[in-house]
Amino acid sequence: MALLEITNLSKFFGGVKAVDDFNYTLDSGHLHAIIGPNGAGKTTIFNLITGIYPPTQGKIFFDGQEITNLPPHVIAQKGIARTFQNIRLFPDFSVLDNVRTACHQQANYSVLEGLFPTPRRARQEKELTERAYNLLELVGLANRAKERAKNLPYGHQRRLEIARALALQPRLLLLDEPAAGMNPDETEKLMDFIEEIKEKFNLTILLIEHHMEVVMGLCDDIVVIDFGKKIAQGTPEQIQSDETVIQAYLGAGEEL
Amino acid sequence: MILQQIVNGISIGAVYALIAVGYSLVYSVLNFSNFAHGDVLMLGAYIGFFSLMLLKVPFPLAIAMAMVGAGIIAMIIEKIAYRPLRLRRAPLLYFMISAMGMSIFLQNFTIVTIGPNFRTYPDIFPVKPFAVGNLSIGRLDLVILIATVIVLLLLTWLVYKTRIGIAIQAAAYNMRVASLMGINPDLIATLVFLLAGASAGIGGVLFGMKYTVYPWMGVLTIKAFVAAVVGGLGSLPGAVVGAFVLGITETFAAAYISSAFRDLFSYLLMTIIIVARPAGLMGTVAQEKA
Amino acid sequence: MSGYFAGIVILTCVNLLAVLGLSLLTGFTGSFCFGQAGFMAVGAYVSTLLTMRLDAPFPLALVAGCFASLLVSIPLGYPTLRLKGDYFAIATLGFAEATRLVVENLEKITGGSRGIPSIPTQTSLPVILIVALFCVWLIRNYVSSRHGRNCIAVREDQLAAEAIAVNTFRYKQISFAINAALAGLSGGFLAHYVGFIQPSMFGIPKSTELIAMVIFGGMHSVTGAVLASIVLTALPEVLRVASAWRLVVYGALVVTIMVVRPEGLLGSWELSWSSLRELRSAWQRRFQTQS
Repeated sequence: MALLEITNLSKFFGGVKAVDDFNYTLDSGHLHAIIGPNGAGKTTIFNLITGIYPPTQGKIFFDGQEITNLPPHVIAQKGIARTFQNIRLFPDFSVLDNVRTACHQQANYSVLEGLFPTPRRARQEKELTERAYNLLELVGLANRAKERAKNLPYGHQRRLEIARALALQPRLLLLDEPAAGMNPDETEKLMDFIEEIKEKFNLTILLIEHHMEVVMGLCDDIVVIDFGKKIAQGTPEQIQSDETVIQAYLGAGEEL
Repeated sequence: MILQQIVNGISIGAVYALIAVGYSLVYSVLNFSNFAHGDVLMLGAYIGFFSLMLLKVPFPLAIAMAMVGAGIIAMIIEKIAYRPLRLRRAPLLYFMISAMGMSIFLQNFTIVTIGPNFRTYPDIFPVKPFAVGNLSIGRLDLVILIATVIVLLLLTWLVYKTRIGIAIQAAAYNMRVASLMGINPDLIATLVFLLAGASAGIGGVLFGMKYTVYPWMGVLTIKAFVAAVVGGLGSLPGAVVGAFVLGITETFAAAYISSAFRDLFSYLLMTIIIVARPAGLMGTVAQEKA
Repeated sequence: MSGYFAGIVILTCVNLLAVLGLSLLTGFTGSFCFGQAGFMAVGAYVSTLLTMRLDAPFPLALVAGCFASLLVSIPLGYPTLRLKGDYFAIATLGFAEATRLVVENLEKITGGSRGIPSIPTQTSLPVILIVALFCVWLIRNYVSSRHGRNCIAVREDQLAAEAIAVNTFRYKQISFAINAALAGLSGGFLAHYVGFIQPSMFGIPKSTELIAMVIFGGMHSVTGAVLASIVLTALPEVLRVASAWRLVVYGALVVTIMVVRPEGLLGSWELSWSSLRELRSAWQRRFQTQS
């Protein structure tokens, strides 16, 4: 069943066609990837899906419901979580609070109970803290829970951002270059980790990646875009032998 | 009568325009509103005033001194209050607070050193207005309008026709990309503040001549900021358009509705504009890069 | 307790109430409000008009002033809180100036720029002290709740906050409303302590003074806001410093803090039993390593 359906999606910035008539259907329960040369419009697609930019044209459906032009927080509420290419944590928050904040939807005490504490609030807060610790345990950061997020090393920040996204209990997880800046060893660990969370939380994952070994080894379905247009889609084998893809990458001087 | 109101509106709009371009210039490049701009204007007004009264220099020289002085002060402010924040990429909030702190400091430092009294510029131009038919046009208003036009033309030439200006434009478009292309952001910031400061300097002198000079006169430039918002923050033509729209709206509201509540209409106009068009009349909505 | 000392405590509480609101709005939620004095003015004038013209009981008038101020924040925040922070800052400044303008020109009702004299001085020390401490407790609760964390998330990174399903606009509105209510309350107490009000009491210097208190104490700490209100209200009263010099120092300090230590005196440290215990154990550790 299609979890995410994108039809005729376009985004123009002035005269620049960042995304041009993009069509895409994403089945649930798989690992999908968007690849393409730098500046091909990959991150723009994420920003369109998550509602950060309104599209110039086209429609986006999530789980059969139209989500085009909804504000970002509503789209997140519906179950789409994401990470950012250049990591956007809450820098002054503790590691724990970064995740605990993202758990906020699992509590339902009111603003009034925020001012006047009730037993219900205490109970729910305890649950949120436990949940946050569990997620930190999962990404291996529980022992650094009290540190400020901005003081973590880069690799840990990446993992913390994934933990924060998982705190939303999403159905679709968008990862924007999760392996950026990692060495091969770290990248391999990350791949295992992505597999693990996919199984554990029954997730559908869509990722943008430059590390080809990540994409080819991990994903069931790959979309290649160039200049905002989809130029190919298929399994890793199909993509590796696709003429247009090779052309696009050779043209951009990157290795496939 | 209506024509007379338009003339009055234009003369106020000209003063606003001169100040609003300073706000917009800084905003376009550095993406924050320099709330201390009004106090630079105030200092410019004092420099002009004392040049005339104590140094007895001729009027054009007094204007030049106010422009140079205010430009240098604005540069120093940038170095002290904003540059360290910019270098560590502090959030917008910190810029606004720092600007507010600078504004409090300058205002009250002037009060304790120069004194809180109002000072009046000598009459350089005859007070008697021109009469064109039924219209009366103040000589000072005419001078202000001409000065504004000259300054705006100069600024336009600088920003759109010179190498420095093109560097400023590139920085306004995208500071990071510009710095990759070899444009030094610190230098651009310095230049922008110098230009904004110089325009505030002449604005201060003219403002001081039209009204009076006093330490908290910078507060009056809120209206110029409103004009910049109406026109579209960060757009130079927008600042000018916004200034004249605001000036004329204000005079009409004062003449036909209520003069006591004149400023209320300015804020009302601003609110209506940003509700209908958040980017202002001439601005474009900047979308944050994710 | 001498009347002089009691007066300082009352004024401290008046400032504290307004500073608490700002601490939540500007310090925790990250929206820069330039016109706090405007909300104080609304609270002061509404409550005063009720006690003086309609003989309303003081508590009722206070609540009405508080509520009126809250109501004003809604149409003011609605168009501006969605936009970049600059617009909100200028809108609040414009609001404060517009309020002053209205008060000055509605002479029949408000007494114009001469103000309203001989207001019954009904603010008593125990009452305002209890109310202020209660409000500190409320705000402390709020910032440590899920809603408070969402506010901080908005301040830290608005886009990331949206991405974790935080309705940033709503949280800004709530903080703004709470801020306005507290400022309105503060204004009501002030009017009924000093015994007269005039528009010049609620000008830009008052707004800046309040903002300075939030910044000095630490933008991310309620404890800091409380301490700064106490020190910055009491010190000038005791030292009798000329107000202009005081503001010169405030201005210079605000810039210095932003440049050197933007988190202010206390950063995000809060006074609580557990934080005190942590302090104590840190001391002990230091002592042990030395010996």
